[in-house]
Order: sequence, then C-alpha cells, then structure tokens
Amino acid sequence: MNWDPWIPLLVVASSLLPGLLIFGLAEERIRLRTVLNLVGAVVKLGLVGLMLWGIYHEHHYETRLALLPDLELVLRAGPLALLFVTLSAGLWLVTTVYAIGYLEGSPHRSRFFGFFSLCVTATVGVALAGNLITFLLFYELLTLSTYPLVVHRGTQAARRAGQTYLIYTFFGGALLLLGTVWLYSLTGTLEFTPRGFIAGLETEHRSALIIIFFLLVAGLGVKAALFPFHGWLPQAMVAPAPVSALLHAVAVVKAGAFGIVRVVYDVFGVETAAALGVTAPLAALAAFTIIYGSLRALFQDDLKRRLAFSTISQVSYIALGVAIAGPIATIGGVVHLVHQGLMKITLFFCAGNLAETLGIHKISEMNGVGRRMPWTMAAFTVGAFGMIGAPPVAGFISKWYLGLGALEADQGWVLFVLAGSSLLNAMYFLPILHRAWFRDPPDAWPVDHHFGRKETAWALLLPPLVTAVMALGVALLASYPFSPLEWAMLIAEREFYRP
Amino acid sequence: MSEKIYAITLLFVVLWPLFLAVPMLRARLPWPRHLAIIPAAVLTLIFQDVSLDLDWLLLGTRFAIDANARWILTMSVAIWLTAATVNPVSNRATTFFLLTMAGNLGAVLAADLVGFFCFSTIMGYGFYGLLIQGGNMAVRRSGRLYIIFLVAADLALFEALLLAAFATEDLRFVSVQQAMAGSATTSLYFWMALTAFVLRAGIWPFHLWLTSLFKSASLSICLLLVGVPVAMGLVGALRWLPLGLSASVGPGLVILIIGITAIMYAVLRLVSRSTLRMLPGWSTVAATGLFIAALGVGLIQPAVWLQYAYLQYPLLAGMGILLAVMTLIVGRSQDRHSDDDPAMDRVEALSREVAQRGGVMLRWSQNRLHQIRCFWLALWLKTVQQASVVIDRLRTVNVVSQWTASITVFVLIGLALAWLAR
Repeated sequence: MNWDPWIPLLVVASSLLPGLLIFGLAEERIRLRTVLNLVGAVVKLGLVGLMLWGIYHEHHYETRLALLPDLELVLRAGPLALLFVTLSAGLWLVTTVYAIGYLEGSPHRSRFFGFFSLCVTATVGVALAGNLITFLLFYELLTLSTYPLVVHRGTQAARRAGQTYLIYTFFGGALLLLGTVWLYSLTGTLEFTPRGFIAGLETEHRSALIIIFFLLVAGLGVKAALFPFHGWLPQAMVAPAPVSALLHAVAVVKAGAFGIVRVVYDVFGVETAAALGVTAPLAALAAFTIIYGSLRALFQDDLKRRLAFSTISQVSYIALGVAIAGPIATIGGVVHLVHQGLMKITLFFCAGNLAETLGIHKISEMNGVGRRMPWTMAAFTVGAFGMIGAPPVAGFISKWYLGLGALEADQGWVLFVLAGSSLLNAMYFLPILHRAWFRDPPDAWPVDHHFGRKETAWALLLPPLVTAVMALGVALLASYPFSPLEWAMLIAEREFYRP
Repeated sequence: MSEKIYAITLLFVVLWPLFLAVPMLRARLPWPRHLAIIPAAVLTLIFQDVSLDLDWLLLGTRFAIDANARWILTMSVAIWLTAATVNPVSNRATTFFLLTMAGNLGAVLAADLVGFFCFSTIMGYGFYGLLIQGGNMAVRRSGRLYIIFLVAADLALFEALLLAAFATEDLRFVSVQQAMAGSATTSLYFWMALTAFVLRAGIWPFHLWLTSLFKSASLSICLLLVGVPVAMGLVGALRWLPLGLSASVGPGLVILIIGITAIMYAVLRLVSRSTLRMLPGWSTVAATGLFIAALGVGLIQPAVWLQYAYLQYPLLAGMGILLAVMTLIVGRSQDRHSDDDPAMDRVEALSREVAQRGGVMLRWSQNRLHQIRCFWLALWLKTVQQASVVIDRLRTVNVVSQWTASITVFVLIGLALAWLAR
C-alpha cells in the first residue's frame, strides 16, 4: 500500500489525536498526559523527517478530501510547506518539554495541553494547506485554539488580552475570508500554484486584484503583527511563557507571515504582484514595521513586552524579503521564518526561566542575573546577538540574504533599513546583556526557587539551551544540505523561480 | 599528510581557546589562558603556507597562514602570552579573555571576508566583556564608548561585506580587492570599510575610548588594546581595502590629512601632558595616524604602495610589539609607583634631566660643527634645539594641553594651504 497520500493527514493527526485524548484526562493523570504529549510530538517529528527526505528526492505527498462541491480540503507537502512544518514540529517538541516543567503543579494542565496540541495541529494545517480555503480553515482554527492559551491564567489582564486578541484576529479572519471569496468569484479556483493562479486576469480585473491583495495581506498582517495590526501582540504577552514562545516563534505570527509568502508567490505570483504594483507598498509597510517595532521595543522595561515589540519588528523581515521580489531576498525572508523562530523561542524560554526561578519580569530587575543563572543568560545572549544580526548566529544569515537580495533587486534603501534595525536591536538588547553580566546582583531576588546545584529545573533549562545551540548551528552549518538556508534555496529554485 | 595536520592545526588554534572559554571545561586545567595560546604558538613555528577551506562553515569560510599572517600571528601570540602573565584575572574574566583570544586568532587566520567579520565580531564583543569585567568606573565609561563605536563599525563593515558579496562570489581577500577595484560601488565600499576600521582601531578622531583606557585600565588590558582592537583594525584595513590597484587622489588626500592630523594631535598631547602612563596611549594614536597617512599615500601613488607592500605586515607586527613593550615597561613602572608617588616625580625629573643634557650635547655639537665649518648641519641642530626649547616652554605654560585641537586645526589649514599653493 502506498502511504504517501496519507502522510500529510497523519502529520496533522499526530497532534490532533493526543490533544483530543488529553482533553478527556483527569488533572492528576500527569504521566499519561506527558506520554501522550511527547509521543505525539516525536511521531510528528518522525513523519516530518520522512517527508523531508522524500521531498528532497522529489516525492509527492498530497491528501485530498472533499469539502464542498468544487472545493476540497487539500494537504500538500511542498518544500515551503515542509520548512514551516519542520519548524513547528521541532519547536513543538521542545516547547512541550518546557511547558511540562513550567506548568508543574499549576491547575488546568489538561485543558492547557489539549489546546496546545490543537494549536500545533492548526499550525501544521496552515503549513500544509494546498489551497486558500484549507488555509483559511486552519487559520481560523488557530485563532480558536490559541485564545484559551492566551487567557489561561484567568487574570483580568489575561482576559483583556484575550479579548483584544480575538477582536483583532476575527477582524483579520473576516478580511481574509472576504478576499478569498472575492478571488474565488474571479478565478474559480483557490489552488496554490507555483507562480500564482491569477495570471491573465491582471489587465481585466486590475483594481479588484489590487484590493484583494491588500485584503488578504491585511487579514494575514493581523497575525503577522504588521503595523497597524500589531496591537494584540504586546498585550498577549501576559500568557504563560510557553504560550508566548508558541505565539511568537512557532504558531500565530509565523502563520501570518507564512500566509503572506503564500499569497505573494502561490496566489498572485511574484511577477504578477510586482506588475500590479503591490509589492512596493508591502515592502514599505514591512520596512516601517521593522523600524517601528524596534523603536517601541527600546522603551519597554517589561522583558516580555520588549521581546514582543522585537517580534513585531523581526517578523516583518519575512514580509520584506518576499516584497523585495527577487530570488535572493526571498531566500532571506523564507529562511528567517525558521531563524527568527529559533532565536525568539530561546529568548522567551529564558524570560520564562527568569520569571519562574527568580520572579524577574522587568529588565531593571535583571542586574547580575548572569551570575545566578549563567546558562540561561548564555542562551539569552546567543538569541540577542542573533537578533542584532551578529555572526555566527542565525540572524546574520537572514540579514545577509535580505541585504544581498535588496542589492540584486536594485533596492539599496533596504540596506539602510537593515542597518537601522540592527542598530536599534543592539540598543535594546545590549543594555540587557550588560545588566545581566556586568552589574552587581541585588542582595535578594524577588523570589528565589532553589533547584539544588542547578540554576533552575532541567525541563526549563534544557529547551533554551537546545534552541540556542540550534540558532548557532543553523548559521554555522548554513551551507550543509538540509540546513534551513539550503532548504530555502531549494524552495526558491523549485517553487518560486522555476523557469 | 603533514599538510593535513597543519591544516587541522589552523582550526585547532581557534577552537581550543573557544573550548577553554567554557568555565566547566577548563575547571581542572592549570593556566588555561597560557594553555589556550599554545596551538597558535606552535603554528608560528611552522614555516609553511597552509590553508583550510571549510565550505560548510557559515557561508563558506577559509583559514590560511602565509608569511603576512605569520607576522601578525607572532605579534598576537607574544601579546596574548604577556597579557596572560602580567595580571591575574578572575574566572569570569578568563572566559572573556579566551573568547577574545579565539576571535582574535580566528580573524588573523581568516582568509576571507566572512570569516574575518565573524571572528572580529566575537573578538570585539569578547573584548568589551574583558574590559568591563572588574573594571573601575573610568574603564566602564570608556567601555561604553568602545561598544558604541564597535556596533557602528560592525554595521558599516556588514554593509561593506554585502557590497563585496554583490560584486564577487569569491570572498577571499585578494579576489575582493581585485573585484572592488573595478566595481561600480568601489567608493561606497571603500568608505564603509575604512570607517569601520577607523572606528574599531580607535584612530583619530575616534580615539577617545582608546586613550582613556590606556589611562585607567589594567596593564593586561592596555597590552591587549594594542594587540586586539588596534592591530586587528589595521590588519582589517590592509586586507579589505583595494589598495595599490588604482589611484584615487581625492580620497587619498583626505586620508593623508587625517593621518597627519592624528600624528600631530597625538604628539602635541604627548608633549603637553607628559604623564608617563599616557605615553603608550598617545604613541598608539600617533602610530595609527602614521598607518593612515601611509594608506593615503598608497591611494595617491599606488605604485609606491605596491613597491613597499612586502613591508606592510612586518612593520605592523613590529609596531605592535614595540607599542606592547612600551606599554609593558610603562605599566611595570606604574605598578611600582602610583601617580601621586614621589617616585613618579623622579621619572619626570629624569626625563627633564635627559632633555637638559641633550640640550647641552646639542650646543656642544653645534659649536664643534661651526669649528669644522659644517654650517648646514649646525643650522639644523640649532633648529632642533630651538624646537625642543619651544616644546619645553609649551609644557611649562600648558598652552598645548588647553589648545591642542585648535593648534592641530590651525596647522592643518596651513598644510592644506601649502598643498593648494603647490
């Protein structure tokens, strides 16, 4: 029997089924819940590994299920889809380990892990979606599954943040739906196609297509936290650290950015989008968001809030890379999908460790914390330098390709945006590192949980160390086959710029 | 076979200090700072050109050692060994010490732009950690200035790197120099890279952090100032800039003037505030000024630059070692006598005595030259004597210290006018 058509569905199911089972578990069934979580994550990772090998050797994985007359639920694993799936599956495993340690002893863990699994299911669905309607379905499922995670703590601030999150994302979803329906009425298809499926319509429906493009980008821009749709993200940082990590690095903002890549390349096609004149405003908006996010980050004392504004800035690199509309910049944008994920998840894990172990939430409380938690701060340092774009961390590779791509596309102004952003990143990350490593620690920390000779619990310490090593590894081994960079090149070659 | 071993040694030179930088891994090792430099010291003794291409590392990185790199490596080994010996440092500072060392050695051995950029970045930030760790308030203030310049330099260098990568796929130094000499973005690349190295090396007018660190930092830091940011800034300029390939008189002139200004400024500051402690600092500023002036000449007259190309690295290494020796001697005497120690007055008195005796000698020589009717030489000696009297008077009235910048600008205008009149 040929299993290839079912593998994409199995990948989705590998987190959906454990999630549904976990919902039914009693709170005290800790071991079974942990086993379900980890088995699901490992199985998903195994299946993704299998698909990676297959796609590299030009195998074809596609699941089609009838949804409505003329509309199918399509799950297809192409190189781009697999890049995002690999990121989600890999970081889900790490985040699960972290969440198990982070939530130890706290209430409503079955609910949390149930929605956690659903969230990853939706993300993987978004990644594997073979048409716009499948994308839309999983995109909305993502909204619904992340809301309970944002409000998990049940505090007033959490509820308010959840409300804001819902308002923004439903608004975005509505725009996306409107754009999708309008597009379907013009084209009669929503199937993602290399180089887009609207070629030939641009003269007849030029204005409509331009409006549809901006409807889709605005709908996706809410989750991608593009200015001016970013307001929900800094508020959502009241969620527990594993959720923040998931929102910022794996699921929500990435789904938005990934959607923008899909719209530009597989719905409109980059040449058609450029001919319609919509890539230049997108590039300008992304550039503005990059600088705006960094400027806002500069003035935050709350660590997670600073990281949230940093995400707003960093995720727009992806949109910028796509909007520059050239193969090299696309590689930079697409690879940043992975690189930003690794660096940002490291930073959020570290922020969680500081909060859980020492009760540190503010940057002004971080004096000398490097002495008390050297490994956590070492991981944080790697993430921070990556964000600045310093070698040999992942961010350097992204900025390298974005910069080169800008020169190739004759858009030298992007270099100034990159330089300005790096400068601002340095301005808001280096003072944190200075405080943590070189200032004297206070006489007492806000709280001080002791874990024997370790600085914190293993489940909290290992995930940031692993992701920090990965953030270094993907840069140091950037030229290796199967590295995110090589994979992004494969994507550009096979999907976006195949003659 | 031996070539392979040498090639692996190249990698080991960088990896070994990086490995030892992790506190846990060096916990049971005695003298980790000395141990870390051993592979590099061994490499200086292997008189064979070796290279190692690591296509899988970063965007493709190459390490190589040739006669030029060996000069710089020898200087670096000498400075690191001395720095490791002169001051004991804490366990935490040792981490930064070794990180900086790894970055420094990596930058020396890097044969391409990406490798150099990567290792010099590690070196730069590691050195900041080393500075700040255990430094007093003055050191921290200078460190702040240093890191601002470092970030700005890294940004400029990254932009230059992008321009180079856009012009050529082969990012080895020689290829980039060739490609950039004929590129449409040569001018932008040149100024970006030059600005970066001027900032990194603390060349005038961005020397403030450098001189204030010479004033306030420990001896090992002062030694490393010469060997790490300054030397690598100058080495970077030699390797990155397309020199000796085509003439560009305008930029060359600007650079020449900057170089001369730096020398003049440093000399004036030296004679006006002659605390012994500042001698290496201002000498370093003067030396970097000399280098920049030579760069300017090389731009105006590429043939001259090529003619003396073989001297660049030996001179640079020699200059570095001389400055390090000066720093060491001054630092040792400082260790023995603090600034307010009467012994320091003795040092001052000694230098004045030497100057007075020198004056007597000059007058005697002048008379003798008159007697043997060698008037031109006598006249020259008289000029020297008068100049030393003027300098001595300036020291007394402290005019130069208050008006150094103005005097420098004034003399510069004079130079510019003389050039125009030519």
